[in-house]
Amino acid sequence: MAVALYELGIALTALAIAGSVVFRYGLSVIPAYILVGVLVGPNFPSSVGDLSPVALGALGDVSLTLVSDSELVAGLAELGIVLLLFFLGLEFSISQLFGDSRRIAAIGVIDLLVNFGVGLAIGVAFGFSAVETLFVAGIVYISSSAVITKSIIDEGWVANAESGPILGTLVFEDIFIAVYLAVLSAVALGGGSLEEAALSVGTAFAFLGALLAAAWYGSGLVERLFATDSDELFFLRVLGVTTLIAGVALAMGVSEAVAAFFVGTAFSGTDHTERIEHVIAPARDLFAAVFFFSIGLTTDVTLLSEVALLLAVAVVATTASKLLSGTLSGRVYDLDPRRSLRVGLGMVPRGEFSLILATLAASAGASTGTLGEVVPAFAVGYVLIMSIVGTLLIQNASAIERVRERTVGG
Amino acid sequence: MTVYETDVPGVGKKFELEIGGGERIVVLIHHDGKREVYRRPDEDADSEKLFSVAGKQARQLGSIIEGAFFQPVETDEVQVPLGDAFIEWLDLAPDSELVGLTLSEADLRQETGVSVLAVQRESETFPNPGPDFSLAAGDVLVTLGTRGDQEALEEMLGEDGGSNA
Repeated sequence: MAVALYELGIALTALAIAGSVVFRYGLSVIPAYILVGVLVGPNFPSSVGDLSPVALGALGDVSLTLVSDSELVAGLAELGIVLLLFFLGLEFSISQLFGDSRRIAAIGVIDLLVNFGVGLAIGVAFGFSAVETLFVAGIVYISSSAVITKSIIDEGWVANAESGPILGTLVFEDIFIAVYLAVLSAVALGGGSLEEAALSVGTAFAFLGALLAAAWYGSGLVERLFATDSDELFFLRVLGVTTLIAGVALAMGVSEAVAAFFVGTAFSGTDHTERIEHVIAPARDLFAAVFFFSIGLTTDVTLLSEVALLLAVAVVATTASKLLSGTLSGRVYDLDPRRSLRVGLGMVPRGEFSLILATLAASAGASTGTLGEVVPAFAVGYVLIMSIVGTLLIQNASAIERVRERTVGG
Repeated sequence: MTVYETDVPGVGKKFELEIGGGERIVVLIHHDGKREVYRRPDEDADSEKLFSVAGKQARQLGSIIEGAFFQPVETDEVQVPLGDAFIEWLDLAPDSELVGLTLSEADLRQETGVSVLAVQRESETFPNPGPDFSLAAGDVLVTLGTRGDQEALEEMLGEDGGSNA
């Protein structure tokens, strides 16, 4: 246990340092956390010498395998996934969805057809199997709520017209990914035959249906159950119930992430929302950081050279596809060409959900073969690039807009 | 006057207020209580962030804008709103033209429009001073009048009239 605690200390300190560095430059923390995991994890680079082409003598032999991929880290990372999705459900805005359903449906469908379509095409072109292709398509389709939301606040776009289609698309994507995770985990974990897959999809939907009904009709009960003056007890109750339901779901072969999402929606209609934001958000941030770290920990970056071409194609094609779908979505909202382009730029960052899909792929593929090794490695490389590229595109939007005006005018 | 309210998932709530001429004020209320205020000059312009405030300051600012801000009594300047008029405590500086004059000689009502409700001298208070009450340096005049009236009087009271700062 002493070793585990010492490793956890190294992990958290390294995360704090990396987070502080990128925070100063206004970049996204997600790629930084992943890279920290890559650096101190058991895979390459395993010593200082691996990082440097120069012979460093004795310094080159200093070990960089500081943190092992332990049950402890994996458990905390799992809590990170659960809390990320719980908050997604909590902040899920039914009123916004129904208030503007026609436009959100329109832009959501555009976003889905264009980007998911490009993902399917990439999967087929690179000779992936059906299930692997579905994973690849999901990974490149889903934008990062966390990175995008932070970036548009930092840039002040949140107060402009372009925030409507950007956030609307995210709302649609969030629903889609909840359903998609449920289906995909049932198919991927359900094993081979069509019959088994159908059965596990049925189980998943029965479980989630029950959960949804409980969320819908039980909000009065939730209200009373969690009414306490003590923040400590409140925190424990919410975290306990959420983790327990997610755990039960996983044991039944249902995506724990989706279960957590539905638990979050059960809270979203109650008066507890604001308190959860205050009391539980710090825990979400901590465990989510450990989740990104653990992704880096389990990634073998030497595999990235194998998927270099796939990565290059995916980065170029799916940056272009988000620019296209975003621009079209901007037109749906009657925005001018400049703002429509911003919607496209704003949708480029990919992040936490692509990684959750990667985690699912790794567990479904038992960490071997194409599904278990190549798809997750691709996802990690892809998210590293897209979260950085996407953030930079948003930060440099005005320069890009000027280029557009010079080339097409107006 | 329309206020547009939208949920910003993961952030909080956004309010947009039209303030005429296509200009809008945008207020973003974060879940953690931080408020960011933006101004959008017209529909096509980008919003400029004006400032962000949190918690207590946000509520103070709000009540100031609402005209409902209550400040605890400070001895050097107290204002009690009475429609357009308010009550002010003004110091009579030694170099003022009014020192030594009686109230009827000073004729403040005619000159500035304010009424003198009381005069405080040292620890004594003279409520409703009569026309032959004579003013001395260091007196504190308790006056009622509109902002313009009060300002006119402050000028007659000389150096640093109106505050002990």
